[in-house]
Amino acid sequence: MRSDSAAGLRPASAAPLPRVLRVALAGNPNAGKTSLFNALTGAHHKVGNYPGVTVEKLEGSRLRRGVEYRFVDLPGIYSLTAYSIDEMVARDFLIDERPDLIVDVLDSTNLERNLFLCLQFQELGIPVVGALNMSDEAEAKGIAIDDAALSSLLGIRMVRTVGTDGRGVDELLDAIDAAAGSSRGESKSIHYGAELESQLTPLEAAIGADRAFASRYPARWMAVKLVEKDANAFDRLRGHASGGAIAEDARAASAWLEGHYGRDAEIVVSEQRYGYIRGAVKEAVRVVRAPDFSVTEAIDKVIMNRFLALPVFALVLWGVFELTFAAGAYPQRWLEDFFSWLGGAVTAAMPGGVLQSILVDGVIAGVGSVFSFVPLVVILFFLLSLLEDVGYMSRAAFASDKALHAFGLHGQSVFPMMLGFGCSVPAIMAARTLKSKRDRIATILVIPFMSCGAKLPVYVLLAAAFFPKNPAGVVMGIYALGVALSLIAAAVLKRTALKGEPTPFVMELPPYRAPTLRGVLWHVWEKTASYLKKMGTVIMAASIFVWAITTFPAYRMPEEAVQGVKAGYSAEHPGSSEEEARAYADSVASEAAMEHSAAGLIGKAIQPAFAPLGFDWRLSVATITGFAAKEVIVSTLGILYRAPESADGGTGSLVDALRSDPHWSPLLAMVLLVFTLAIPPCVAALSTIKGELGWRWLGFEFLLLLSVGWLLGFAIFQVGSLIGAGSFGMAAATAGL
Amino acid sequence: MVVSEVPAGTGFKVVKISTGKEVGKRLADMGFTDGAEGRVVRTGLLRDPLQVRIRGYDVLIRRSEAESIEVVPAAREGGSE
Repeated sequence: MRSDSAAGLRPASAAPLPRVLRVALAGNPNAGKTSLFNALTGAHHKVGNYPGVTVEKLEGSRLRRGVEYRFVDLPGIYSLTAYSIDEMVARDFLIDERPDLIVDVLDSTNLERNLFLCLQFQELGIPVVGALNMSDEAEAKGIAIDDAALSSLLGIRMVRTVGTDGRGVDELLDAIDAAAGSSRGESKSIHYGAELESQLTPLEAAIGADRAFASRYPARWMAVKLVEKDANAFDRLRGHASGGAIAEDARAASAWLEGHYGRDAEIVVSEQRYGYIRGAVKEAVRVVRAPDFSVTEAIDKVIMNRFLALPVFALVLWGVFELTFAAGAYPQRWLEDFFSWLGGAVTAAMPGGVLQSILVDGVIAGVGSVFSFVPLVVILFFLLSLLEDVGYMSRAAFASDKALHAFGLHGQSVFPMMLGFGCSVPAIMAARTLKSKRDRIATILVIPFMSCGAKLPVYVLLAAAFFPKNPAGVVMGIYALGVALSLIAAAVLKRTALKGEPTPFVMELPPYRAPTLRGVLWHVWEKTASYLKKMGTVIMAASIFVWAITTFPAYRMPEEAVQGVKAGYSAEHPGSSEEEARAYADSVASEAAMEHSAAGLIGKAIQPAFAPLGFDWRLSVATITGFAAKEVIVSTLGILYRAPESADGGTGSLVDALRSDPHWSPLLAMVLLVFTLAIPPCVAALSTIKGELGWRWLGFEFLLLLSVGWLLGFAIFQVGSLIGAGSFGMAAATAGL
Repeated sequence: MVVSEVPAGTGFKVVKISTGKEVGKRLADMGFTDGAEGRVVRTGLLRDPLQVRIRGYDVLIRRSEAESIEVVPAAREGGSE
């Protein structure tokens, strides 16, 4: 099939080694595209973003027999309409970048719907090769595909592949070589039937006549898109000489079709396309036995039972949390130990001074405290990726969509929101799977209400210190409050700032599939990488900043004053040792240093704004340092309340220090709990929101969260003070907290 | 009748999609086109969303979307093909 005319079309490809082929890997979601991409490229890939949008772009290459294949993994889509960001990215890449070839990854067990996209690629005038993926699964299901017949019927080379074990990869590369050498004229394209063709043909001719336009866009594809009333296609016409005339003709063609068929023109096109596919599939695909849904069906009878679906979902969520925290505790402790050892080692190895202080107190302490949450986050992501790969996430969407829809969210919001319990950064990025822009914005804006892993130590500290009867209950309550706030916020947003037509919920429900370790690890890595990247950059910078404002301007308590404090301590605590008095005096000195530092000054300056919440300057400082990362609140309080690091590195002494501080009460603890839950997230999350939605939404989100946090804190403190902080404590005690 | 009126476990044959724009185009692109046979597998609590088998695969749609798919009862029972 290799044609020499290709040499004339693409001079570069005719040159001797190495010949470069730019191949776009496209296909439906759930067609096994990622595993085939990995099988094709091995470990050689890099992740980037498509220009101007936040859709991830995965590139990889492979060298074989003097040909360098450069693969770009396009987002998984069902069609090339302009309704979702994924579709737009795929379309713009294919139209504007014009790769040498498209490999369409087809789910062999679900060929009709998968071919629907394939035929749209064919119309782009770019050579297409179809990978009949998951062919093993199709055979097991009794679906016999005559790939030769299908190839000749559709005019598209078809190759059987199994992405998970790499079967068929060589044959696929052979087909790519052959197809890339073939001329464009060889590829045929779908026949839409006499009526539709009668409208398309003159339109195609008119487009072809505008040379400037036709040189940029495939005429056939353009004609179909215009008849489908695709807004983007009309946009592309603008500014071209005969653009106005073509647009007029296209509108007339759509109107004629709508009159003739009695339905919308865009639906007529889909119907004709499916009709064509049906014909081809009838000839080339034999279903040996009836499709077997039995295993999936048996499981779904329970999991998707109309009464059980929600309780099962709740149970799954609970199980994920239990496992995450039970299994995560050990590596978390190891990492904490490692970083405190590292801090000690660096202190010992370096001369004292500012550089040592930056490294030990800034970078190691800051990044170390965030790093200790990596195990929790990784385990949570592993479990969620497992659920995703097995196919449970669409079941979770089924269970929760009705409830979430009432609050203006979407069944597909579930997965990003669950990730939010680990870390907001990957959670916000995961919201990219939402098709509608408004749903996506709403989901991103409410994710910070999902208590991330870094907020947990703050909750644990305060609950242990002030609600010793039932600390776990208090922590659970705060998590639940966060979920409630996210739903309320979504409902309000969808009725105000994000008002608009409801978006369709059309979601494929894939059969259950045994997950592969490689696939799950890949997904974990995808999510963890974004988290680690933020940690290496934003959190590192924020840690150094927090270190700087808490260290400078440097203040040293005069030695006489330190001696005085020491003497006073010894007098007050007869029988106390010299070391105890020294340690006490040191902690007073470091508190004084903090008080005189920039952070202390800022804390005192903004304290009036937080006074109605019962905050003193110390808590105001902790609020600021918390922007570096939420658990920094704990270490800041540790410094400000003079809790010497206990031997085991735990927070036991801080619990005592807070409890014995006259300013603190269960009421203030409750205010700080709710405040920490609701206020804007750490800089890493904020910068992710900026990256996904831009400055304006970031500003909106910041003000929204700050007002919610402040107002809730204010309400709790004022009401609590009214009934009396003491009786609040009593009430908490009687409530079993 | 429309898909939202089809009892769970019953087959249907698509007549047409009665809405255009995004909802209609999405449903058509997912395979709900003239003559396609399908079956409502089950529904959620309050009969929303619906799990529908069409062209040999399963898809979840909301009740409001199911209302814009006009169908007739299938000639034979349980037809996903």
